[in-house]
Amino acid sequence: MNSDDWLRAFAAELHQRRVGADAARHVVAEAATHLREGGGDPWVVFGPPRQYAGVIVESIGTAPGPRPGPVRLHAQGITKRYGRRTVLRDATLTVRAGQIAAVIGANGCGKSTFLRICAGLISPDDGAVTVSGRLGYCPQSGGTADFLLADEHFVLVGAGQGMARGPARRAGRVAARQLGWEAGGDVLARHLSGGTRQKLNLTMSTLSDPDVLLLDEPYQGFDQGTYVNFWDQLSRLRDAGKAIVVVTHLLNQLDRVDTVLDLTPAQPSGWLAPGAQGGHP
Amino acid sequence: MDSDRRGQWLRGVLDICVLALLRERESYGYQLAQALDAAGVGPIQGGTLYPVLLRLQRTGLVTARWREGSAGPARKYYRLTDDGHAALRQGGSDWLTFVAPVNDIVTKGVAG
Repeated sequence: MNSDDWLRAFAAELHQRRVGADAARHVVAEAATHLREGGGDPWVVFGPPRQYAGVIVESIGTAPGPRPGPVRLHAQGITKRYGRRTVLRDATLTVRAGQIAAVIGANGCGKSTFLRICAGLISPDDGAVTVSGRLGYCPQSGGTADFLLADEHFVLVGAGQGMARGPARRAGRVAARQLGWEAGGDVLARHLSGGTRQKLNLTMSTLSDPDVLLLDEPYQGFDQGTYVNFWDQLSRLRDAGKAIVVVTHLLNQLDRVDTVLDLTPAQPSGWLAPGAQGGHP
Repeated sequence: MDSDRRGQWLRGVLDICVLALLRERESYGYQLAQALDAAGVGPIQGGTLYPVLLRLQRTGLVTARWREGSAGPARKYYRLTDDGHAALRQGGSDWLTFVAPVNDIVTKGVAG
Protein backbone atom coordinates (compact mmCIF):
# COMPACT_ATOMS: atom_id res chain seq x y z
CA MET A 1 0.00 0.00 0.00
CA ASN A 2 1.69 3.24 -1.10
CA SER A 3 1.05 6.73 0.27
CA ASP A 4 -1.78 7.46 -2.15
CA ASP A 5 -3.53 4.24 -1.23
CA TRP A 6 -3.08 4.96 2.44
CA LEU A 7 -4.46 8.50 2.04
CA ARG A 8 -7.40 7.20 0.04
CA ALA A 9 -8.18 4.59 2.70
CA PHE A 10 -7.78 7.21 5.43
CA ALA A 11 -10.14 9.62 3.65
CA ALA A 12 -12.66 6.81 3.30
CA GLU A 13 -12.42 5.99 7.01
CA LEU A 14 -13.00 9.64 7.94
CA HIS A 15 -15.95 9.79 5.61
CA GLN A 16 -17.40 6.62 7.08
CA ARG A 17 -17.14 8.13 10.55
CA ARG A 18 -19.04 11.16 9.27
CA VAL A 19 -16.26 13.64 9.75
CA GLY A 20 -17.38 16.82 8.00
CA ALA A 21 -16.19 17.02 4.40
CA ASP A 22 -14.14 20.18 4.90
CA ALA A 23 -12.54 19.01 8.14
CA ALA A 24 -11.65 15.68 6.51
CA ARG A 25 -10.16 17.44 3.52
CA HIS A 26 -7.87 19.49 5.77
CA VAL A 27 -6.72 16.49 7.78
CA VAL A 28 -6.01 14.41 4.67
CA ALA A 29 -4.18 17.29 2.99
CA GLU A 30 -2.09 17.87 6.10
CA ALA A 31 -1.14 14.19 6.25
CA ALA A 32 -0.28 14.24 2.54
CA THR A 33 1.93 17.30 3.02
CA HIS A 34 3.69 15.66 5.95
CA LEU A 35 4.38 12.50 3.94
CA ARG A 36 5.67 14.52 1.01
CA GLU A 37 8.05 16.48 3.20
CA GLY A 38 9.20 13.80 5.57
CA GLY A 39 8.81 10.69 3.49
CA GLY A 40 8.38 7.50 5.45
CA ASP A 41 5.85 4.73 5.46
CA PRO A 42 2.40 6.10 6.34
CA TRP A 43 1.74 2.89 8.29
CA VAL A 44 4.65 3.83 10.57
CA VAL A 45 4.17 7.60 10.54
CA PHE A 46 0.41 7.55 11.15
CA GLY A 47 -0.48 3.91 11.74
CA PRO A 48 -3.29 1.96 10.11
CA PRO A 49 -5.81 4.28 8.36
CA ARG A 50 -8.71 2.98 10.44
CA GLN A 51 -6.91 3.51 13.73
CA TYR A 52 -5.64 6.97 12.82
CA ALA A 53 -9.11 8.00 11.66
CA GLY A 54 -10.39 6.95 15.09
CA VAL A 55 -7.77 9.12 16.79
CA ILE A 56 -8.69 12.06 14.57
CA VAL A 57 -12.35 11.70 15.43
CA GLU A 58 -11.41 11.80 19.12
CA SER A 59 -9.45 15.00 18.48
CA ILE A 60 -11.90 16.95 16.35
CA GLY A 61 -15.18 15.14 16.80
CA THR A 62 -17.58 14.37 13.99
CA ALA A 63 -19.89 16.73 12.26
CA PRO A 64 -23.22 15.12 12.94
CA GLY A 65 -24.10 14.47 9.33
CA PRO A 66 -27.60 15.51 8.43
CA ARG A 67 -29.89 12.60 9.02
CA PRO A 68 -31.20 10.99 5.87
CA GLY A 69 -34.30 12.86 4.84
CA PRO A 70 -37.35 11.83 2.86
CA VAL A 71 -37.17 9.21 0.11
CA ARG A 72 -36.09 10.91 -3.10
CA LEU A 73 -35.78 7.94 -5.39
CA HIS A 74 -37.55 4.64 -5.20
CA ALA A 75 -36.99 2.03 -7.89
CA GLN A 76 -39.15 -1.02 -7.29
CA GLY A 77 -38.85 -4.39 -9.00
CA ILE A 78 -37.11 -3.06 -12.10
CA THR A 79 -36.91 -5.67 -14.86
CA LYS A 80 -35.55 -5.05 -18.33
CA ARG A 81 -35.20 -7.43 -21.27
CA TYR A 82 -33.48 -6.94 -24.59
CA GLY A 83 -34.97 -9.60 -26.82
CA ARG A 84 -34.67 -12.84 -24.91
CA ARG A 85 -31.88 -11.57 -22.70
CA THR A 86 -32.89 -10.32 -19.27
CA VAL A 87 -30.57 -7.48 -18.31
CA LEU A 88 -32.20 -6.58 -15.03
CA ARG A 89 -34.44 -8.70 -12.89
CA ASP A 90 -36.41 -7.27 -10.01
CA ALA A 91 -33.85 -4.64 -9.00
CA THR A 92 -34.94 -2.44 -6.12
CA LEU A 93 -33.30 0.63 -4.66
CA THR A 94 -34.39 3.32 -2.23
CA VAL A 95 -32.35 6.48 -1.74
CA ARG A 96 -33.17 9.24 0.69
CA ALA A 97 -32.09 12.86 0.77
CA GLY A 98 -28.58 13.00 2.23
CA GLN A 99 -27.56 9.53 1.10
CA ILE A 100 -25.13 8.14 -1.45
CA ALA A 101 -26.05 4.84 -3.07
CA ALA A 102 -23.61 2.82 -5.16
CA VAL A 103 -24.77 0.57 -7.97
CA ILE A 104 -22.11 -2.07 -8.51
CA GLY A 105 -21.57 -5.24 -10.48
CA ALA A 106 -19.53 -6.75 -13.28
CA ASN A 107 -19.46 -5.26 -16.77
CA GLY A 108 -22.67 -5.90 -18.65
CA CYS A 109 -24.79 -6.60 -15.57
CA GLY A 110 -27.09 -3.69 -16.34
CA LYS A 111 -25.73 -0.90 -14.14
CA SER A 112 -26.02 1.82 -16.78
CA THR A 113 -29.36 0.47 -17.94
CA PHE A 114 -30.64 0.68 -14.38
CA LEU A 115 -29.46 4.27 -14.09
CA ARG A 116 -31.01 5.23 -17.42
CA ILE A 117 -34.28 3.75 -16.24
CA CYS A 118 -34.01 5.80 -13.05
CA ALA A 119 -33.37 8.87 -15.20
CA GLY A 120 -36.48 8.12 -17.25
CA LEU A 121 -34.48 7.77 -20.46
CA ILE A 122 -35.68 4.22 -21.09
CA SER A 123 -38.67 2.32 -19.78
CA PRO A 124 -38.49 -0.86 -17.73
CA ASP A 125 -40.46 -3.93 -18.81
CA ASP A 126 -41.60 -4.29 -15.27
CA GLY A 127 -41.41 -2.23 -12.12
CA ALA A 128 -41.61 1.47 -11.50
CA VAL A 129 -39.41 4.41 -10.52
CA THR A 130 -40.65 7.20 -8.31
CA VAL A 131 -38.59 10.37 -8.11
CA SER A 132 -39.39 13.21 -5.77
CA GLY A 133 -37.79 16.49 -6.82
CA ARG A 134 -35.53 17.67 -9.59
CA LEU A 135 -33.27 15.17 -11.33
CA GLY A 136 -29.67 15.55 -12.50
CA TYR A 137 -28.05 12.94 -14.73
CA CYS A 138 -24.38 12.57 -15.63
CA PRO A 139 -23.90 10.05 -18.44
CA GLN A 140 -20.81 7.89 -18.77
CA SER A 141 -19.81 9.60 -21.98
CA GLY A 142 -21.21 12.20 -24.29
CA GLY A 143 -23.25 15.01 -22.87
CA THR A 144 -20.79 17.69 -23.91
CA ALA A 145 -20.77 19.68 -27.13
CA ASP A 146 -17.47 19.42 -29.03
CA PHE A 147 -17.38 22.96 -30.37
CA LEU A 148 -18.35 24.84 -27.21
CA LEU A 149 -16.16 26.15 -24.40
CA ALA A 150 -16.78 25.03 -20.81
CA ASP A 151 -18.16 28.50 -20.07
CA GLU A 152 -20.64 28.16 -22.94
CA HIS A 153 -21.85 24.87 -21.50
CA PHE A 154 -22.52 26.62 -18.20
CA VAL A 155 -24.41 29.41 -19.96
CA LEU A 156 -26.47 26.81 -21.79
CA VAL A 157 -27.42 24.99 -18.61
CA GLY A 158 -28.11 28.32 -16.93
CA ALA A 159 -30.36 29.43 -19.78
CA GLY A 160 -32.50 26.36 -19.14
CA GLN A 161 -33.17 27.78 -15.69
CA GLY A 162 -33.64 31.36 -16.77
CA MET A 163 -30.21 32.33 -15.47
CA ALA A 164 -28.25 35.24 -17.02
CA ARG A 165 -24.94 34.52 -18.75
CA GLY A 166 -22.67 36.07 -16.11
CA PRO A 167 -24.08 34.33 -13.05
CA ALA A 168 -24.33 31.03 -14.97
CA ARG A 169 -20.68 31.24 -15.95
CA ARG A 170 -19.62 32.08 -12.41
CA ALA A 171 -21.69 29.25 -10.90
CA GLY A 172 -20.12 26.82 -13.37
CA ARG A 173 -16.59 27.91 -12.58
CA VAL A 174 -17.19 27.68 -8.83
CA ALA A 175 -18.64 24.18 -9.18
CA ALA A 176 -15.73 23.13 -11.40
CA ARG A 177 -13.19 24.45 -8.91
CA GLN A 178 -14.60 22.08 -6.31
CA LEU A 179 -13.44 19.27 -8.58
CA GLY A 180 -9.99 20.81 -8.76
CA TRP A 181 -10.55 22.22 -12.22
CA GLU A 182 -10.18 25.81 -13.43
CA ALA A 183 -12.84 25.89 -16.12
CA GLY A 184 -12.40 29.43 -17.42
CA GLY A 185 -10.03 28.54 -20.28
CA ASP A 186 -10.55 29.03 -24.00
CA VAL A 187 -10.33 25.33 -24.88
CA LEU A 188 -13.12 23.72 -26.87
CA ALA A 189 -14.73 20.72 -25.21
CA ARG A 190 -13.40 18.41 -27.90
CA HIS A 191 -9.84 19.38 -26.99
CA LEU A 192 -10.29 18.74 -23.27
CA SER A 193 -8.80 15.52 -21.89
CA GLY A 194 -11.28 12.72 -21.27
CA GLY A 195 -11.02 13.30 -17.54
CA THR A 196 -11.68 17.01 -17.80
CA ARG A 197 -14.66 16.40 -20.08
CA GLN A 198 -16.02 14.15 -17.34
CA LYS A 199 -15.55 16.96 -14.86
CA LEU A 200 -17.47 19.24 -17.19
CA ASN A 201 -20.24 16.67 -17.34
CA LEU A 202 -20.32 16.27 -13.59
CA THR A 203 -20.23 20.03 -13.08
CA MET A 204 -23.18 20.51 -15.41
CA SER A 205 -25.22 17.82 -13.70
CA THR A 206 -24.88 19.66 -10.38
CA LEU A 207 -25.62 23.14 -11.76
CA SER A 208 -29.38 22.76 -11.91
CA ASP A 209 -29.31 22.13 -8.14
CA PRO A 210 -30.93 18.71 -8.46
CA ASP A 211 -32.50 16.85 -5.55
CA VAL A 212 -31.53 13.52 -7.09
CA LEU A 213 -28.17 13.13 -8.80
CA LEU A 214 -27.50 10.11 -11.02
CA LEU A 215 -23.83 9.59 -11.90
CA ASP A 216 -22.69 6.93 -14.34
CA GLU A 217 -19.04 6.03 -13.57
CA PRO A 218 -18.23 9.72 -13.21
CA TYR A 219 -14.62 9.15 -12.15
CA GLN A 220 -13.73 7.13 -15.23
CA GLY A 221 -10.80 8.79 -16.91
CA PHE A 222 -10.41 11.30 -14.10
CA ASP A 223 -6.78 12.36 -13.73
CA GLN A 224 -4.66 10.72 -11.10
CA GLY A 225 -5.02 12.38 -7.77
CA THR A 226 -8.38 14.00 -8.28
CA TYR A 227 -10.31 11.22 -6.53
CA VAL A 228 -10.17 13.16 -3.28
CA ASN A 229 -11.82 16.13 -4.91
CA PHE A 230 -14.48 13.98 -6.47
CA TRP A 231 -15.45 12.22 -3.26
CA ASP A 232 -15.17 15.47 -1.33
CA GLN A 233 -17.60 17.01 -3.74
CA LEU A 234 -19.89 14.01 -3.41
CA SER A 235 -19.78 14.23 0.39
CA ARG A 236 -20.54 17.92 0.18
CA LEU A 237 -23.54 17.29 -2.05
CA ARG A 238 -24.73 14.53 0.26
CA ASP A 239 -24.38 16.80 3.29
CA ALA A 240 -26.38 19.41 1.37
CA GLY A 241 -29.21 16.89 1.29
CA LYS A 242 -28.92 15.49 -2.22
CA ALA A 243 -29.85 11.91 -2.94
CA ILE A 244 -26.99 10.51 -5.02
CA VAL A 245 -26.74 7.31 -7.05
CA VAL A 246 -23.27 6.42 -8.36
CA VAL A 247 -22.62 3.61 -10.78
CA THR A 248 -19.17 2.27 -9.97
CA HIS A 249 -17.06 -0.85 -10.27
CA LEU A 250 -14.31 0.15 -7.84
CA LEU A 251 -14.94 -1.76 -4.66
CA ASN A 252 -12.57 0.24 -2.46
CA GLN A 253 -14.75 3.28 -2.96
CA LEU A 254 -17.74 1.55 -1.45
CA ASP A 255 -16.57 2.68 1.95
CA ARG A 256 -17.80 6.13 1.15
CA VAL A 257 -21.38 5.24 0.32
CA ASP A 258 -24.41 4.70 2.50
CA THR A 259 -26.07 1.92 0.60
CA VAL A 260 -25.18 -0.56 -2.13
CA LEU A 261 -27.15 -2.20 -4.91
CA ASP A 262 -25.22 -5.17 -6.30
CA LEU A 263 -26.47 -6.13 -9.74
CA THR A 264 -24.05 -9.03 -10.18
CA PRO A 265 -26.08 -12.11 -11.09
CA ALA A 266 -26.30 -14.49 -8.14
CA GLN A 267 -23.37 -16.87 -7.76
CA PRO A 268 -23.19 -20.16 -5.86
CA SER A 269 -21.65 -18.47 -2.84
CA GLY A 270 -22.28 -14.85 -3.56
CA TRP A 271 -20.51 -12.12 -1.65
CA LEU A 272 -22.98 -9.56 -0.50
CA ALA A 273 -21.85 -6.03 0.20
CA PRO A 274 -22.74 -4.61 3.61
CA GLY A 275 -25.99 -2.75 3.37
CA ALA A 276 -26.79 -4.37 0.04
CA GLN A 277 -30.36 -3.91 -1.04
CA GLY A 278 -30.47 -6.83 -3.43
CA GLY A 279 -30.76 -6.87 -7.20
CA HIS A 280 -30.83 -10.10 -9.08
CA PRO A 281 -32.45 -12.89 -7.10
CA MET B 1 15.03 4.25 26.01
CA ASP B 2 11.92 2.19 26.71
CA SER B 3 9.66 3.42 23.96
CA ASP B 4 6.42 2.64 25.82
CA ARG B 5 7.56 4.75 28.75
CA ARG B 6 8.75 7.55 26.48
CA GLY B 7 5.35 7.49 24.79
CA GLN B 8 3.59 7.84 28.11
CA TRP B 9 5.76 10.77 29.16
CA LEU B 10 5.22 12.46 25.81
CA ARG B 11 1.46 12.11 26.04
CA GLY B 12 1.56 14.15 29.23
CA VAL B 13 3.70 16.99 27.97
CA LEU B 14 3.71 17.12 24.16
CA ASP B 15 0.96 19.74 24.03
CA ILE B 16 2.98 22.01 26.32
CA CYS B 17 6.11 21.48 24.18
CA VAL B 18 4.14 22.39 21.05
CA LEU B 19 2.72 25.51 22.68
CA ALA B 20 6.20 26.51 23.79
CA LEU B 21 7.64 26.07 20.29
CA LEU B 22 4.75 28.04 18.78
CA ARG B 23 5.40 30.89 21.18
CA GLU B 24 8.55 31.65 19.23
CA ARG B 25 6.97 31.63 15.78
CA GLU B 26 4.11 30.12 13.84
CA SER B 27 4.96 26.74 12.40
CA TYR B 28 3.62 23.62 10.67
CA GLY B 29 3.52 19.99 11.70
CA TYR B 30 6.60 18.69 9.99
CA GLN B 31 8.70 21.62 11.16
CA LEU B 32 7.51 21.15 14.73
CA ALA B 33 8.43 17.46 14.60
CA GLN B 34 11.90 18.37 13.36
CA ALA B 35 12.33 21.02 16.05
CA LEU B 36 11.36 18.54 18.79
CA ASP B 37 13.77 15.99 17.37
CA ALA B 38 16.55 18.54 17.08
CA ALA B 39 15.98 19.61 20.69
CA GLY B 40 16.66 16.01 21.75
CA VAL B 41 13.08 14.92 22.51
CA GLY B 42 13.49 12.29 19.80
CA PRO B 43 11.44 11.53 16.70
CA ILE B 44 7.73 12.36 16.94
CA GLN B 45 5.54 10.57 14.42
CA GLY B 46 2.83 12.43 12.57
CA GLY B 47 0.26 10.10 14.09
CA THR B 48 1.21 11.43 17.53
CA LEU B 49 1.71 15.09 16.65
CA TYR B 50 -1.30 16.01 14.49
CA PRO B 51 -3.99 14.83 16.91
CA VAL B 52 -2.36 17.09 19.53
CA LEU B 53 -2.37 20.03 17.10
CA LEU B 54 -6.00 19.39 16.19
CA ARG B 55 -7.00 19.27 19.84
CA LEU B 56 -5.17 22.54 20.51
CA GLN B 57 -6.96 24.05 17.54
CA ARG B 58 -10.35 22.78 18.65
CA THR B 59 -9.90 24.16 22.14
CA GLY B 60 -8.86 27.54 20.74
CA LEU B 61 -5.26 27.50 22.02
CA VAL B 62 -3.92 27.77 18.47
CA THR B 63 -5.33 28.97 15.17
CA ALA B 64 -4.41 27.50 11.81
CA ARG B 65 -4.30 28.65 8.24
CA TRP B 66 -3.08 27.18 4.98
CA ARG B 67 -0.27 29.02 3.28
CA GLU B 68 1.56 28.32 0.05
CA GLY B 69 5.28 27.88 0.58
CA SER B 70 7.74 29.72 -1.67
CA ALA B 71 8.61 26.25 -2.91
CA GLY B 72 6.81 23.01 -2.23
CA PRO B 73 3.28 22.26 -1.11
CA ALA B 74 0.84 24.41 0.86
CA ARG B 75 1.25 23.90 4.58
CA LYS B 76 -1.05 24.32 7.53
CA TYR B 77 0.57 26.86 9.84
CA TYR B 78 -0.35 27.00 13.51
CA ARG B 79 -0.14 30.12 15.64
CA LEU B 80 -0.60 30.65 19.38
CA THR B 81 -3.71 32.54 20.52
CA ASP B 82 -4.02 34.61 23.69
CA ASP B 83 -5.65 31.63 25.36
CA GLY B 84 -2.74 29.55 24.12
CA HIS B 85 -0.26 31.91 25.78
CA ALA B 86 -2.19 31.66 29.05
CA ALA B 87 -2.39 27.87 28.80
CA LEU B 88 1.33 27.70 28.14
CA ARG B 89 2.14 29.81 31.21
CA GLN B 90 -0.15 27.77 33.43
CA GLY B 91 0.61 24.32 32.01
CA GLY B 92 4.31 25.08 31.77
CA SER B 93 4.66 26.13 35.38
CA ASP B 94 2.53 23.17 36.48
CA TRP B 95 4.94 20.90 34.64
CA LEU B 96 7.99 22.49 36.23
CA THR B 97 6.39 22.23 39.66
CA PHE B 98 5.81 18.54 38.95
CA VAL B 99 9.21 17.60 37.53
CA ALA B 100 11.37 19.49 40.05
CA PRO B 101 10.67 17.11 42.97
CA VAL B 102 10.62 14.14 40.59
CA ASN B 103 14.09 15.09 39.41
CA ASP B 104 15.28 15.45 43.00
CA ILE B 105 14.03 12.02 43.94
CA VAL B 106 15.31 10.33 40.81
CA THR B 107 18.68 12.09 40.96
CA LYS B 108 19.24 10.87 44.51
CA GLY B 109 18.16 7.38 43.52
CA VAL B 110 20.44 7.22 40.53
CA ALA B 111 23.42 8.69 42.42
CA GLY B 112 23.00 6.35 45.36
